[in-house]
Amino acid sequence: MTKARPDRADLGAGLAVLGLGGVAVWQALAIPTSPLYAQVGPKLVPWLVAAGLLVLGALLTAAALRGGWSADIPEIAEAPPPNPRSLALLLAGLLANLVLIGPLGFTLAATVQFTLVAAAFGSRAYLRNAVIAFVVALGAYTLFVKLLGVNIGAGLVEGLVFGTPE
Amino acid sequence: MSLHRRNLFTAALGLSAAGMMGSPAWAQQRFANIYMFVPAGPGGGWDGLGRAIEQVARGAGLVGNFQFENVGGAGGMVGLPRFASQRRGRADSLMVGGSVMVGAGITNKSPMTIKDVVPIARMTEEIGVVVVPSSSEFQNMGQLLQALRTNPGAVAVGGGSAGGTDHITLGLILKALGRNPREASYVAFAGGGPAQAAIIGGQVKAGISGYSEFAEQIKAGRMRALATTGERRSDPNVPTLKESGVDVVTSNWRGVFGAPGINASQRQALTDLMTAIHALPAWKQTLETRGWDDAFLAGAPFAEYLNRDITSTEEVLRDLGLAT
Amino acid sequence: MDAIAGLSMGFANALSLSNLGWALLGCFLGTAIGVLPGLGPALTIALLLPITFSVSATGAFILFCGIFYGAMYGGSTTSILLNTPGESGSIITALEGAKMARNGRAGPALATSAIGSFVAGTVGTLGIAFLGPVIVELALKLGPAEYFSLMVLCFVTVSAVLGGSALRGLTSLFFGLLLGLVGIDLQTGQPRLTFGVPELLDGVNVVLVAVALFAVGETLYLAWRHVEGKAEVLPVGRIMMSRSDWKRSFWPWIRGAGLGFPFGVMPAGGTEMPTMLSYYAERKLAPPEAQKEFGTTGAIEGVAGPEAANNAAAAGVLVPMLTLGLPTSATAAIMLSAFQSYGIQPGPMLFTTQGELVWTLIASLFIANVMLVVLNLPLVGLWARILKIPQPQLYAGILIFATIGTYGISNSVVDLVLLYGIGIIAMFMRRFDFPVAPVVIGMILGPMAEQAMRQALTISQGDWSTFVTRPASLVILLVAVAALLGPKLYGAWLRRMAG
Repeated sequence: MTKARPDRADLGAGLAVLGLGGVAVWQALAIPTSPLYAQVGPKLVPWLVAAGLLVLGALLTAAALRGGWSADIPEIAEAPPPNPRSLALLLAGLLANLVLIGPLGFTLAATVQFTLVAAAFGSRAYLRNAVIAFVVALGAYTLFVKLLGVNIGAGLVEGLVFGTPE
Repeated sequence: MSLHRRNLFTAALGLSAAGMMGSPAWAQQRFANIYMFVPAGPGGGWDGLGRAIEQVARGAGLVGNFQFENVGGAGGMVGLPRFASQRRGRADSLMVGGSVMVGAGITNKSPMTIKDVVPIARMTEEIGVVVVPSSSEFQNMGQLLQALRTNPGAVAVGGGSAGGTDHITLGLILKALGRNPREASYVAFAGGGPAQAAIIGGQVKAGISGYSEFAEQIKAGRMRALATTGERRSDPNVPTLKESGVDVVTSNWRGVFGAPGINASQRQALTDLMTAIHALPAWKQTLETRGWDDAFLAGAPFAEYLNRDITSTEEVLRDLGLAT
Repeated sequence: MDAIAGLSMGFANALSLSNLGWALLGCFLGTAIGVLPGLGPALTIALLLPITFSVSATGAFILFCGIFYGAMYGGSTTSILLNTPGESGSIITALEGAKMARNGRAGPALATSAIGSFVAGTVGTLGIAFLGPVIVELALKLGPAEYFSLMVLCFVTVSAVLGGSALRGLTSLFFGLLLGLVGIDLQTGQPRLTFGVPELLDGVNVVLVAVALFAVGETLYLAWRHVEGKAEVLPVGRIMMSRSDWKRSFWPWIRGAGLGFPFGVMPAGGTEMPTMLSYYAERKLAPPEAQKEFGTTGAIEGVAGPEAANNAAAAGVLVPMLTLGLPTSATAAIMLSAFQSYGIQPGPMLFTTQGELVWTLIASLFIANVMLVVLNLPLVGLWARILKIPQPQLYAGILIFATIGTYGISNSVVDLVLLYGIGIIAMFMRRFDFPVAPVVIGMILGPMAEQAMRQALTISQGDWSTFVTRPASLVILLVAVAALLGPKLYGAWLRRMAG
C-alpha cells in the first residue's frame, strides 16, 4: 500500500486545510474576551474547531506525503482532463454577474452570465441564449416586483419597463 | 412604456400639488414619490412599519407612489451606510429604524451610526415586561429584585440576543440595584418561541421581552407579569419598574429618518408628512390591528429624545462590556 | 367539542367553493416559492399579510397554510432535479434525490417525495387534531440541556454521511462548523470570524451554502472537466414508481413521519434534525443491496424518509402555535401576527373560543395535502422533463436561479461573492473527494449545539453534570451511545455467532 512518491495535488489539498486551520486560529485570536458572566465564553468552540482543522490538515498532509489518496479513487483517476477554457468562461460569467448586477441591474447581468455559462458548456448559439436569458430574467424580475413587492436589483432595463425608481 | 409615462404624469401632478402646499386638506398630495429604505429583510418589524406607512399614506393620497428597498443585516448596520451615502441630500427618502439600531451601532463599532441620519419621527414603541413562570417562588417584583440583589448569578433570566433591548433592561435593573450588570446570568435565545418555551417550562427563573410577545401566556396564566418597563402602566394590574423601586424605563421604539444633507425646509416637509399620516384615522386603525403602541414624537423633541437614548444605551453597553 | 365532531364541522366549512379556492391558490403559490431557493414560506406570508385587511380570517389562514404545506413540496422538487435545495428542510433530500435524478430515476424520486409528503402531512395533521396538546406539554419539559443532548445524538448519526474516508469526511464537517461560527455570538454579542465585514455579522445563510456546495460547485466542476463536443443528455427514465419502489418507500415514509412530528412540536426542534436522523436510520436499516445505492446511484429510501420527516415536522410546528400561541419557527411567528391582526389570540383557549376557525383550518390542511399530491403527481413527468434541457442552458439556468435566491432577498453583492467563493471551494472538494453534505450538517448543528450547551451551563451555573443528572438528557445521551456502539457490537456479535 505505501507509495514512496508524494502526491503533489493531494499535498496542496492537505496544506489548504492546514491554512484554513491557520485562518481559524487567526480569527479565534481576534475574538475579544467577553467580560459577561458566562460559564463558557465565545472563544472555546472556535478554538476547538481551529484545533480540529489543524490536526485534520496535518493528517491529510501526512497522507499526501505517503502517496496521497486521489490515485486510489477510480472516479478521480478516470475523470476527463481539466478544461481550462470552459472553466475560465464559467468563472468569467460569475465575475460578470458580480460586477454588472449593481450598475446594470439583474436582467442584463443575468443575460451576460447565462450566455457566458452556456458558452462554457459548448453552446455557440450566443444570440439565442441571450434572448432566452433576457426573457426568463425579466419574467422572474416581474414576478418578484409585481407579486411580492421585493426588489431584486433594478437597473436599465427594469427602469425602461417599469418606470425609473428615481 | 405606458407605465413609465404614467409615472411622469403623476410626477407632474405632484409638482403642482407641492406648489399649492399649505392648504389644510389632508388629501392634498405632499410627495409624488417616496423612496422607503428598510435596513432589514422583508417581513420583519421595520419592514412592517415601512409598509404600514405606505398603505396609510397612499390610501389617503398623501403620497403618490412608494419605492421600497430592503438591505438587511447586523441590526441595520449593513443598510444604514448604504442609505446615508446613496441617498445623501435626497429630500424624498426615508429610512425606517429604531432602538435596535442605536445598540447595534455601538456594539458593532460601525463607522456610521444612527447619528449620521436625520431624525424625522418616532412612530411606535413596545413596552417590555418582566415575567416569571406561573410556578415560580417569586410573587412580585420586590422578591425578584431581592434575589437579584443577593446573588444575580443564581437567577437565570431569559430573553433576546445579547446586547439587545431585553439584555439592556436587565443590565439597567442590576445597575439600579447597585450590582455590576456583568454579573447577570443572562440566557440569550434566538427567537420568541424558544425563549417563551424556556420560561413556561421553568428552565429559567425569569424572562424579559416585549409585552406583546408574552401577552397571551400572561393571559392564560402560564407566566406571571411582575413589572412593565414603561414610564406609565400599560397593564393596569402590573406595576412599572419605577413603582417597584428601580428607576429603569426602556422601550423598543421604531421611527423614520431622513437622508443626511437635506436642508431645514426639506426636513420640515418630511416631518409634516409624518405628522399628517399620524393624524389620519387610518393610522389609528393600523396601530390597533397591529397591536402597536402609539409613540409619536417628531422634529426637535424626537432629536433630543434620540440623543438621550444613545447616551444611556452607550453607558449600559459599556457597563456590560459590549462597548468601548 | 371532541375532535371528530370538530373535524366534521371543519370539513363542512372548508369544502365551500371560496375556501377551496383559497386552498388551491395557497398550494400553487407555496409550490412556486418552495421551488425558489431563498424564498421561504415565512417571507411570502409576511409579504401577503396586508390581505388580512380585506379577506376573512378563515380564507386568509387557509391560504397561509396552503403556502406553508406547498413550500415543503416545492422545496424537494428542485433539490432532486437541480441539486439546489429550496429550504433547509430539503437539504438532506438532495443527497440521494439528486443522485437518483442523475441516474435516470428522477420520476420515482419525485413521486416518492410527493407521496411521502402526503403521507407525512396526513399523519402530521392527524397529530395536530388528536395528539398535539399532549405532546406539546411533554415538549415543554425539554430545556437547553436536552437540546444539547439531541444535537450530540445528531452528531453521532452524521457518520452516515461522512462518506468513504473518515479523515476527509471529518474535515468537511469541521469546515461546516467553522462556517457556522461566523457572525455575532448570541450569548455574549461578540463578533466571530467576520473579518471585519459588516455583512457577515448576521452569519452565513445555510441555504446559500447548500446551493453553493451542491449546485454552483457541481456546475464549476463539470465545466472544469468539460469535454468539447460531447453533449451530455441526462436520462429521464421511467416516471412511475415500480412495485419495488413502493415497497422500499413505505416504511421510510412511516418512520420519517413518526420521527418528524415530535421534532416539529418541540420549541427548538425544527425540520433539520429529524431529516438527518431519518436519513441515518434509513441508511442503517436498508437491506444490503439497497445500501450499495446510498451515495452512489441514489437510494429511494434516502429520499422517502427525510422527505416525510420534513413534512411531518412542518405540520408539528403548527401545534405549539395553535395550542400555546408559541411561534417556534419564522413561519409560525408570522402566522401568529396574522392571527393578532384579526384580534384572535392563539393559545390554550383558541380551540374553545375560535373552534370553528381552528377546525376549518385543520380540515383545510387535509384538503391542501390532497390537493398538493393531486397537483404534484401529474407534474412529476413535466418536472422531470427539465432534465431534457441541453446541458449548457440547464446549468446556465441553474446559476441564474441561484442568483435570484441569493441576491434577490438580500440585495447584497457580498452574498453573491460567498455563493461563488464557496462554489469554487466545493469544486476542489469534489476533485479531492471531500464529501459536501457534512459541511451543511456541521453548519446547522454546530451553532445549535454550541448555544444549547452554553445556555444549559449558564442556567446550571457552570455545572457540567447537568447533562447527565437531568433524566431526559441522560436518556438521549444513552441513545446516542447506543447509536454509536450498537451497530459495531451487533456486528461483532454476528461474527462471533458465525465464527
